[in-house]
Amino acid sequence: MTHGAAVGRLWMLLCAVLFAALPAQADEIVLWHAYQNAEEAALQEAAAAFEQQSGHTVQLAAQPFGSYASKVETAIPRGNGPDLFIASHDKLGKWHGMGLVQPVDSVAEAHTPASVEAMRWQGSLWGRPLAYKTLLLFYDPTKITTPPRTTDEMLVLAREHTVEGSYGLAYQASEDFYHAPWVHGFGGAAYDENGEVHLDDKEHADALSFVAKLALVDKVVPQQPTGQLVAQLYGDGNAAMVISGPWFMADLDREIAAVPLPIVSETGLPARPYLTVEGVFLAAQAKHPVAAAEFADFLSGEAGARIRQATARQAVTWQGLEVDDPLLAALAEQAKTAVPMSADPGVANVFEAQSRALRAVLRGAVEVDVALEDAQEYYGILSKAPPPAVSPIPYILIIVTAAMGALAWALAPLRDPYERARWWKHRWDYLWIGPAALSLGLLVAVPFLTGAGVAFFAHSSGTWTFVGLANFTSIVFSRDWPITSPMSFFYTLAVTVLWTVTNLTLHVGIGVALALMLREPWIRLRGVWRALLIIPWAVPNYITALIWKGMFHAQYGAVNALLGVFLGQTVEFDWFASFARAFTANLVTNTWLGFPFMMVVTLGALQSIPRDLEEAAEVDGASWLFRFRHVVWPLLQPALLPAIILGSVWTFNMFNVIYLMSAGEPDGSTEILISEAYRWAFSRGNRYGYAAAYAVLIFFVLLAYSRGANRLVGKKVL
Amino acid sequence: MAGIELRALRKSYDETEVLKGVELKTEDGEYLVLVGPSGCGKSTLLRCIAGLEDITSGDLLIDNVRMNDVHPRDRNVAMVFQSYALYPHMTVRQNMGFALRVAKRPAEEIEAAVQVAAEMLDLGALLDRLPAQLSGGQRQRVAMGRAIVRRPAVFLFDEPLSNLDAALRHHMRVELKRLHRRLGATIVHVTHDQVEALTLADRILVLNQGVVQQYGTPRDLFDTPANTFVATFIGSPSMNLLPAVGAGEHSTIEGVTGRFSVAADGPYTLGVRPTDVRVGDGDVSGRVDVIESMGAEALLHIDLGGHTFMAQIKEPQPYSVGEEVSLTFDVVHRFDREQGLRLP
Repeated sequence: MTHGAAVGRLWMLLCAVLFAALPAQADEIVLWHAYQNAEEAALQEAAAAFEQQSGHTVQLAAQPFGSYASKVETAIPRGNGPDLFIASHDKLGKWHGMGLVQPVDSVAEAHTPASVEAMRWQGSLWGRPLAYKTLLLFYDPTKITTPPRTTDEMLVLAREHTVEGSYGLAYQASEDFYHAPWVHGFGGAAYDENGEVHLDDKEHADALSFVAKLALVDKVVPQQPTGQLVAQLYGDGNAAMVISGPWFMADLDREIAAVPLPIVSETGLPARPYLTVEGVFLAAQAKHPVAAAEFADFLSGEAGARIRQATARQAVTWQGLEVDDPLLAALAEQAKTAVPMSADPGVANVFEAQSRALRAVLRGAVEVDVALEDAQEYYGILSKAPPPAVSPIPYILIIVTAAMGALAWALAPLRDPYERARWWKHRWDYLWIGPAALSLGLLVAVPFLTGAGVAFFAHSSGTWTFVGLANFTSIVFSRDWPITSPMSFFYTLAVTVLWTVTNLTLHVGIGVALALMLREPWIRLRGVWRALLIIPWAVPNYITALIWKGMFHAQYGAVNALLGVFLGQTVEFDWFASFARAFTANLVTNTWLGFPFMMVVTLGALQSIPRDLEEAAEVDGASWLFRFRHVVWPLLQPALLPAIILGSVWTFNMFNVIYLMSAGEPDGSTEILISEAYRWAFSRGNRYGYAAAYAVLIFFVLLAYSRGANRLVGKKVL
Repeated sequence: MAGIELRALRKSYDETEVLKGVELKTEDGEYLVLVGPSGCGKSTLLRCIAGLEDITSGDLLIDNVRMNDVHPRDRNVAMVFQSYALYPHMTVRQNMGFALRVAKRPAEEIEAAVQVAAEMLDLGALLDRLPAQLSGGQRQRVAMGRAIVRRPAVFLFDEPLSNLDAALRHHMRVELKRLHRRLGATIVHVTHDQVEALTLADRILVLNQGVVQQYGTPRDLFDTPANTFVATFIGSPSMNLLPAVGAGEHSTIEGVTGRFSVAADGPYTLGVRPTDVRVGDGDVSGRVDVIESMGAEALLHIDLGGHTFMAQIKEPQPYSVGEEVSLTFDVVHRFDREQGLRLP
């Protein structure tokens, strides 16, 4: 085979691989959903019924719940999405803005008006309603015979049933979604009649004071409540009442009853939870829009509703089916007063700001009015209009000039005929490495350049504007808040550096100490110890982080339990109440994750240090410390320094631990740069450009660090 | 300067006993060589003296002080390791000054001591090099220098010459002898090489399987080996051992006709060094099997009634393979058949 033919085949192979990776054309209706268990079964049943009736085929693709929205948002614009997808209506505004959905002419009148309203955005209908979800007051009928109708009654019952280890009322008090009923019940709302946000008004203050009393004064609500904790408490018979949604009933062995949320005694208004309506949406890029619409009508219509209600106990929006399930009846009753969740993308900022105040107050850190003032200010920053658009032309000129300059520089040697001949002689070699170079370029350079490019744009509700360096200047000059605020880049950078330094010190210290101990002759079962000590490294770090999160729980965590044993009293130390505590909890967790790597590296490096050297030093009179400092440590350095550099980059970007442990609490002060970037991209109004600018700055910080570190290593390594 | 004394010294690792009651007493300033085959326990014994291994039972005395439980650094001993154990990240100067630096001596004193030792070992030009930049012989000298700088009472050498080539080894043997004379310190030197032992030692301790076989001057060991082990281990080529039977004034070798005049009664083991035999006229005869010529001398392998007997004679030698030769034994050693112990 000649060179030419071989290279040609290699290129063909590459093309074949690339094209094979593209999805195959499917001649059927594809529907995406995030349902599980009974709801998924109901969907399958409905699809089968539809297939039989219409002759079309339906392919159901379950997607993971956590990444559902982002999957929809990335796949549909690229033509890789489904024909139909099931989602709750609160993202509709954003998705409409992104052009992901197709309008619907009309839906059957049998659906509840509120659910049809939820499918409407800017005057048009965009989906067919399926089911609604809202919060209810669940109670344990073995403990409570008459459910409360007012908050006063609820409070009396809750106090009555709060005794050692069990709670009168278990719910996720620090989550904004669970707080909303009280805000509405005290007469407040996310937006006032002019569409403005006033988080610091009296109604918000009353609602927050009410919850603060429940949690901090009456203590009828457990601390740091998570969904799992609430379910566990109820399952164990340790919660008399629970505020949760229909999903709470799934997988519950215990008897349960439900009523709508009580009337707020102070105002006489019902506590109105948010109503979310799940609908089936026709994707903008649907390949079989007619058949897909037909299936959507079927699924949303009477036949589909009947199946969904019967098989999955779904609270269907279709009226007129007889309901003999008391829980569904309670849900239907609650739905009458529930407030449809706003589909406006901006509402996420309201929630973000409000939950900040909620968490701060429930931590017992600040007074209600102070927290709400702060939240209002925070909302102002979050909802600030993007920087003004600027002309991209100067930037394009600079980039083009720079690129041409670089190209000219790279190709300059070719002006020399000798170089040209040499290049030509190696033409096959270049072609041979071509596919590898191209793949590498695609895999590394394209995402990097895309990410860097995004940093020059501002994103708001699906629209992108070119803003030049505005994101960078805003971050670097800390335009929106003082440099000492936890929101500032430099504060977070300082925390990140502190985080990295403290972690590495502990990782290396513990890792080296254990490695040295493991080779002591008096250690028995060396292999077992070694294996045990490597386990923290072998367990996926998010699992470890979640386990430690549980262990640091104020009331049910192992850490406080152990402290309690030592101190001889009940310890309910809130590990996430201050920066120092939350940072410590993060640090402990990441140290647990990080020391095995250093230990393994040290064990390996110690193998290459002859015992003779230490013995020689011992005979020469050196103490243990002197031997370590002057003989072992210098010889470990060549192996350890690269590991330390690697470890510090990992730690610098250790997103999982921060996100899952402290989640930046309190008030974002324990965020590190990478998790802060994530917040800007995903929980503070999708400011992707701003987040990308953070990422670019992180890149430069690490680049500078690794340059410096390499120099250090180059000097130190023998 | 100090003498070393071992009293019934034992060392065990779990079930395995490595040293089985070693007794030893050196003079001040003695050059003692511990010699024995691989695994005989000689390095373990040295490490026990250095304090790198715990002593299971018995006593170790240095300069008449019991040292069993004394930390290595307080025993006033310096050790040279087989691998030299030079610190790879330190220069020759730093390596040699290490012990004094540990002892927190002033910098000038360290420098002066290093200079003295460097001069003694001809290392002056190498002081700023790293061990990786040195040859094997140079590293060996640095290891020696590191020990010398401390001016210890006892030097412990663990096979210090085994990593050198033959020429260098010979050279260093001579150097070691000189060094010992200049330092005047007690030296304990471990080797498996009996030539090294014979040339260097004031006295030799032969160890086998953790048991002392003989302790004496090289002359003693060579001339009056205590048992067949020492007899074959010391001296090269090693001593011939043959089963013999005595009958009054004369003895015979089993399976060989012809008597020779060694007075004995009953069976014993006859020991004859290849250098203590005359070939040509005698009472015992055998057939030449192999001839190894070594320039000045030749080694005849003689088949003596099924036993191989070696004789070392001057070159040029007149014999050829297959030729019948008769032998006369000038010096003979007698050992008992069962225990291998020397008979008077």
